[in-house]
Amino acid sequence: MKRACVLLLAVLCGCGRSGDQGARDARPVIGVSLLNLSNEFVVTLREAMASHAKELNVRLIVNDAQRSPERQVQQVETFIAQRVNAIVLNPCEVEASSPAVQKALAAGIPIVNVNSETKAVPSAFVGSRDEESARLGMAYIADRLKGRGGVLIMEGYMGQAAQIKRGEGAREVLAKNPGLRLLAAQTAEWDRAKAVTLMENWLQAYGSSIQAVFAQNDEMAMGALLALERAGRKKDVVVVGVDAIADALQAVRDGRLDATVFQDGLGQGRGAIDAALRLIRKEPVEKATFIPFRLVTQENVASFIR
Amino acid sequence: MPCRSDKHSARVPKLELFAGRLGIVVALLALAAVLAALKPNFLSAANLTNVVRQVSINGILAVGVTAVLLTGGVDLSLGALVALTGVVAAHLAHPGAYPLLVPIAAGILAGAACGAVNGAVVTRCGVPSFIATLGMMTAARGLALVLSDGRPVSNMSPALTRLAGDVAGIPVPALILAAVAAAVAWMLRNLRLGRYLYAVGGNEQAARAAGIRVQGVKFAAYLLCGALAGLAGVVLAARITTGQPNAGVAYELDAIAAVVIGGTRLSGGVGGVGGTLLGVLLMGVIGNGLDLLNVPSYYQQIVKGVIIIGAVWFDRCHQASGKERGV
Amino acid sequence: MGEILRNGENRGNVWLEALGVSKSFGGVRALLDVSFELRRGEVHALMGENGAGKSTLVKILAGLHTPDAGEVRVDGRKVELRSPHEAIRHGIAMIHQELMPVPDLTVAENLLLGREPCGRLPGTVDRGALRREAGRLLELLKVDLPVDAPMRTLSVAAMQTVEIARAVGSDAAAVIMDEPTAALSDREVEALFRTIRALQARGTAFIYITHKMDEVFRIADRITVLRDGVRVGTAPASGLDETRLIALMVGRELIGGRVRGRAVAGESLLSVSGLSRTGAYRDVRLELRRGEILGLAGLMGAGRSEVAAALFGLAPAERGEIRVRGRVARIRHPPDAMGLGIGMVTEDRRADGFVPLMSVRHNITLASLERCCRGPVIRHAAEAEAAALAIARTGIRASDDGQAVVQLSGGNQQKVVFARALMSDPEIVILDEPTRGIDVGAKAEVHALVAGLADQGKAVLLISSELAELLALSDRLLVMRQGEVVAELDPLTVSQEEVLKHAMPI
Repeated sequence: MKRACVLLLAVLCGCGRSGDQGARDARPVIGVSLLNLSNEFVVTLREAMASHAKELNVRLIVNDAQRSPERQVQQVETFIAQRVNAIVLNPCEVEASSPAVQKALAAGIPIVNVNSETKAVPSAFVGSRDEESARLGMAYIADRLKGRGGVLIMEGYMGQAAQIKRGEGAREVLAKNPGLRLLAAQTAEWDRAKAVTLMENWLQAYGSSIQAVFAQNDEMAMGALLALERAGRKKDVVVVGVDAIADALQAVRDGRLDATVFQDGLGQGRGAIDAALRLIRKEPVEKATFIPFRLVTQENVASFIR
Repeated sequence: MPCRSDKHSARVPKLELFAGRLGIVVALLALAAVLAALKPNFLSAANLTNVVRQVSINGILAVGVTAVLLTGGVDLSLGALVALTGVVAAHLAHPGAYPLLVPIAAGILAGAACGAVNGAVVTRCGVPSFIATLGMMTAARGLALVLSDGRPVSNMSPALTRLAGDVAGIPVPALILAAVAAAVAWMLRNLRLGRYLYAVGGNEQAARAAGIRVQGVKFAAYLLCGALAGLAGVVLAARITTGQPNAGVAYELDAIAAVVIGGTRLSGGVGGVGGTLLGVLLMGVIGNGLDLLNVPSYYQQIVKGVIIIGAVWFDRCHQASGKERGV
Repeated sequence: MGEILRNGENRGNVWLEALGVSKSFGGVRALLDVSFELRRGEVHALMGENGAGKSTLVKILAGLHTPDAGEVRVDGRKVELRSPHEAIRHGIAMIHQELMPVPDLTVAENLLLGREPCGRLPGTVDRGALRREAGRLLELLKVDLPVDAPMRTLSVAAMQTVEIARAVGSDAAAVIMDEPTAALSDREVEALFRTIRALQARGTAFIYITHKMDEVFRIADRITVLRDGVRVGTAPASGLDETRLIALMVGRELIGGRVRGRAVAGESLLSVSGLSRTGAYRDVRLELRRGEILGLAGLMGAGRSEVAAALFGLAPAERGEIRVRGRVARIRHPPDAMGLGIGMVTEDRRADGFVPLMSVRHNITLASLERCCRGPVIRHAAEAEAAALAIARTGIRASDDGQAVVQLSGGNQQKVVFARALMSDPEIVILDEPTRGIDVGAKAEVHALVAGLADQGKAVLLISSELAELLALSDRLLVMRQGEVVAELDPLTVSQEEVLKHAMPI
């Protein structure tokens, strides 16, 4: 009985393999490990990559690392074992996801980082400079406040690359504008509900000294917005987020959210697949492609809403 | 020596109820005093209203899971249920789609259904509640992602968002919490089911030998807990005006911590809603205070943990030295 | 007889003493100014009704409680025993009424728990030395037990012996034993006494708490009697007899013997035939009649409790027929049994008799809460009344009915379980070891209760390991041996020895 089961398993595995190779021998295979598919931006990345891959007749294997670097490394190891032609990595963490990159390179498989960086240097990088998004948002605030006022910063999950980079970008602008006072910087862990609570408490702590809130992502900006609106204080405070998710764009259009920063997920996704394909074909490729952020305000929001 | 008669019967004086949880009350008052000294507007009506508003969701979850903990079980799926029911309610809450009652009822029913599954797995299949609800936690979270396609479900009717607003200056979620707490407290004291919950947790075999249908009692506890998690999910969705598939992460830990701080034992048989509310308040005050004082994020977790351990330790010391009060 | 006898010239031989010790728990006084001394190598029995303070006194000596007043001296030096660990270091070991071994470890591992011989690497255990040391200790007590057997497979008596060996192994000079023979058969009691005498010869002293008269005169050198937290007397065992001892304990003289005349039995309320369950009992036939007490005698393991469990639905039988009032009944769980008018007091009140942290009142009403309810809602006034009535009827002593049952004495706890079982007014009552671990005074009260049940026209099944009790109460007597009913005897004419003979395996 036991032997029969083992045989059956072996046959099934073999079938899977040979089935694939039989029907689709020609198509290149790219393994994709994404940070966290319950994050809207990452979903955008995936959709961009999937549709572009379809256009280019490339097969994708998409995995969700669910924010765990260990799982991400495991997924990449599986890709290596499956002898994929290239890997696209949307890293969870700068240091902890680096082994994935190193293993791929050691196995001779080209690997492209998309959206975030790792310490280990991949074959190519397609993304945006997170600092830039914060610089854009903060500069808008400095402009609106004419260089004077109390500012609060809502941060993402402590230690994640985006939180670190966006924090740096914001502080650069603050340093250049001595009239802007940083009242507080706290984490709301990218979460809308936590942001509501944090904003409510900040209203109590800082009251009328608040002139602007810069949230490192739109979910938190929306949370801050809700709290401010409920307290009737929105008209005194400028709120800016990052990501340009659908809710935020709608809020900008309705005049509730002052601005957000568009991260071109579509561009990043397509760019990553392009880079991966060029690497597979051993064509020359840019080591790092930076796709610019764009500030979204009420003036230009219409062009972003699909 | 016949027993003293009915001074101790129907009404347990409020003072006694709190005296039983003396340690937590002292901790709460001490904390409030310190915060008021450091930040005078801690005691302002606006801030206190905030605190009450912010603890309401955790409070509803905590009241629900009190019933489960009383039977000696545990429910780890609370956070996932909050996300799932929020998504369900948000789908039905687009402006002009359905009357207000529909998304609310749907959310509660979805929670109750998951609670029923938890109850069935624990009683029928004999799976330990830790494992059963862990499985539900994963499954419900996955279902929430499926139903929402990974994105927040927005476009919520203003009617539903008003569920998280204020009425005469009092936050509606707090009113909901008060109603829920009163109802469950009443149930625990005045319904046979309530008494049986304590019996099953206190000594399951004795409960069985007394002719109590233990499986039914446990099932009811999980059902109630799930329904209240559903309600909490609807309130949360109203508060953030979206149904978020990844809302509620680790909410179950906060809820269970509040209940245990409030004096309900993890082994069951002892505890109640009054203590739970104290625990919920304590945790809310801690979070609020840390934000007001702008304690750096890294340290907030440590401080929270230390205060919680301290409060429970103080309370247990007091209990151990005095006489155990019968339920 | 209130004077204190003290043998002046033996003063130097006193090894452990308590002087003027007092202790209260939350306003309830357990001990008042009690002095007690234990001499080297003596067996000193401590007797008294439950609630007299015996357990409290020995727990103070064993380091589980600290006295509110007074002091404890070991070998003439004052000591402060703040934990059992410190007591053990001073050479005082206690063997509790409820044994607490670790069931999944072996005998050897339990014997040397906390004192395992170390292996070469720090933190490891030298298993060879462990087994050898365990063997040596058991040898000392002349006990033949496999050192590698898991504790769980041992009988209660064997577990107790291991506990004693543990105490000896930790070089205890004084061993406190609280009701050691409550769950032992007569043969096992003999073995225990042999062990005690062997250790006595080596200089170990014993404080021996018991309710059993015959034992006390067999094993004790001196007897101290406590009553209501006060010491009423200490005397050599040879200077006392049963009547005087009981008088001291209770403050009045009690008459023993037959509690009731033989009843005239009425109709058959419950009849059982062919009841079987693999590994427990086989082909059991019995009948309970209105107004009659059917006694069920037998050694431990004879299957009596298992039969009772089948009748109450706690562990249904595999085969056989149960008829209640002539109609075939399917009893799958307790609600079925209770619906048919069957009530039960189980064997082990701690395990499944009461909910420990729940109040007396709530425990009493637990099985018949519907009677105090309107629909699903509890009417507290009705419940209070019902509980008060039950408390008065069964004579429960508690400071108030809101007290947690776990705080009551054993006798009162047992009465609470009784009250609970009787509240639903069952016509058929099953009692399994109803007076286990309770004192003489409470025992007499329970006997009166049981007799009263039959007088009220109920049918009673009385399971007991105390032959005197069975003979005093039963109208008919069945004996079970190794899962089968082997004899029906007349309790008014048969002797204890004859019953025992039927009960013992051939």
